[in-house]
Amino acid sequence: MNSDMDNFVGLSAVLTGFNQSIIAPDIDPVDIKSVYLPLFTQKIAKESGNPALTGQILQKYSTLSAQGLTPQQIGTAMLDPGNGAPFVLACRKLIFMWYAGAWPTIIPASGTSPASTVSDIISEDSYTSSLVWQVMQSHPMGDSNYRYGYWAKPPVPLSDYTGN
Amino acid sequence: MEITVTGSNPTLASLQHDFDVFSWQSFIALNWPANADGTPNTGITIGQSPNIPVVWQSYRESRTIFLPGGATPPPWGQDSPLPPVCKNIDASHLPPGTMRLTQVGKTPNVLDESAEPFKTGPLIDQNGQYARFSIMTNESMFNYIITNKLYSKDGQKAFNADADFPSSNTSTQQLGSIMIKTAWVKMGGKYDPAKFYTTYALVYNNPSEEAGIKPSCVLQQVGLVGFHIAHKTADEPQWVWSTFEHVDNVPTVGQKPTLSAYNFFNAQCKDCKVNEPPPRPWNPATPFTKPTQAERVIAITPEAQQLNAAYHQALAAAVPDSVWLNYELVSTQWPTNAKSKTDPTGAPAPSFLANTTLETYIQGHVKQTSSSCTACHNNATSTTGNPSDFTYLLQRAQ
Repeated sequence: MNSDMDNFVGLSAVLTGFNQSIIAPDIDPVDIKSVYLPLFTQKIAKESGNPALTGQILQKYSTLSAQGLTPQQIGTAMLDPGNGAPFVLACRKLIFMWYAGAWPTIIPASGTSPASTVSDIISEDSYTSSLVWQVMQSHPMGDSNYRYGYWAKPPVPLSDYTGN
Repeated sequence: MEITVTGSNPTLASLQHDFDVFSWQSFIALNWPANADGTPNTGITIGQSPNIPVVWQSYRESRTIFLPGGATPPPWGQDSPLPPVCKNIDASHLPPGTMRLTQVGKTPNVLDESAEPFKTGPLIDQNGQYARFSIMTNESMFNYIITNKLYSKDGQKAFNADADFPSSNTSTQQLGSIMIKTAWVKMGGKYDPAKFYTTYALVYNNPSEEAGIKPSCVLQQVGLVGFHIAHKTADEPQWVWSTFEHVDNVPTVGQKPTLSAYNFFNAQCKDCKVNEPPPRPWNPATPFTKPTQAERVIAITPEAQQLNAAYHQALAAAVPDSVWLNYELVSTQWPTNAKSKTDPTGAPAPSFLANTTLETYIQGHVKQTSSSCTACHNNATSTTGNPSDFTYLLQRAQ
């Protein structure tokens, strides 16, 4: 049986479209997954009112994964409305967290304003680890590991960024 | 010459240990007593005969490579002429291994000329004197610079490519490129030479460093307080960055000072601002400057401390009162994903690394601001703007 972390990383890879080796490499000096899993668990429990929901999500992923389904099939199954709105919303928030390095909070519509979403950056590391920079084949504003003059050359293929 | 990975399923922690072992092995090899030609004297062991130069002291000082007018440097092994300002000193009577310490900041030329956004500055010791620094290259690195004429701006222009220094490779028995950066304090006053690795240095004040500095040159005994090793290896094209310090340098932020005296910290000073450079103007000729109150921002890990204890035990077994017992590894920075196509820094671990004598004022955990050997040196270019393979030295070409 996989651990919660194994399932969390596997699910995250499926839902983000990134390879596990990119978002959670075996040798991982940043280790953002260890920030995200407890934060996800705590936020989802509080927002959904169901402390068991994260466990249910990870268990479903584990079951689907054991069936030998493709990532596309697993992703489709995880986001199926039949799982219930809180379940699907949690999966969507997981995607947002990885891509934005931030946690989204949905503010319901009121009599005077429509519903909106605000997000809070989780940490410096989450900001620089955001997958949005990778799919842009670029770097975070204010933090670049590229060498002087990189802008004059085309970026490496997207597949090198996603690992897929 | 390369890192030996122990275990079949390495982890971040186990690999850090392996790289730290490599650092200690490198430290011992480089500080081994040397023969006259700079090769290790295998007839004695480290810590014996403390008055003879060690291996790295035969390396070439950057000042003797990047000469005025882009002149061709003297070949390896040949003494370089003394700086003009030191003419009054009889070169024939200099002690073996005498160094020429010219810098009062780690990379003053690079930082000054490229306006790096680092708050850097001189380090003032407890005697109120400026610490001194030196950067040296080994023969492999020196030869690459000479062969490709990278010692001059014209040569770099003709080269017009990214630098790619030779790597150490165990399978070919090739010793690759090594850079050594050292930090020193003048002996005397509050510093007991018996506690330091000491040498004699021509300490001269360089007028090109800061406005208002008058040239002068004095032969002085200096003690080692900081020691960087940068080593390019076959599997680590981002280089391996090891840093050592004197054990008495500083306490760690948030921890109660345990020593009665530190090299760069005064427990009695209640109004001293920690890790703040002295106010300008900076002039190493100033008779007394208020000492720097330095503290270590990122603690040495328990694992590194354990390794330090093991190596101290081994050094003491070789020579019970070895001066090298006074030096400790801070950490080693290495690439966890050296072959990454998207990150030329290779995702270094640890993410940040600083020596309190060489990066005193840029310690911390803020990207692009706090000291990270790889992240900073990844930005290095030659005078043509071509990446210079993790060394800023090529920018010193004239």
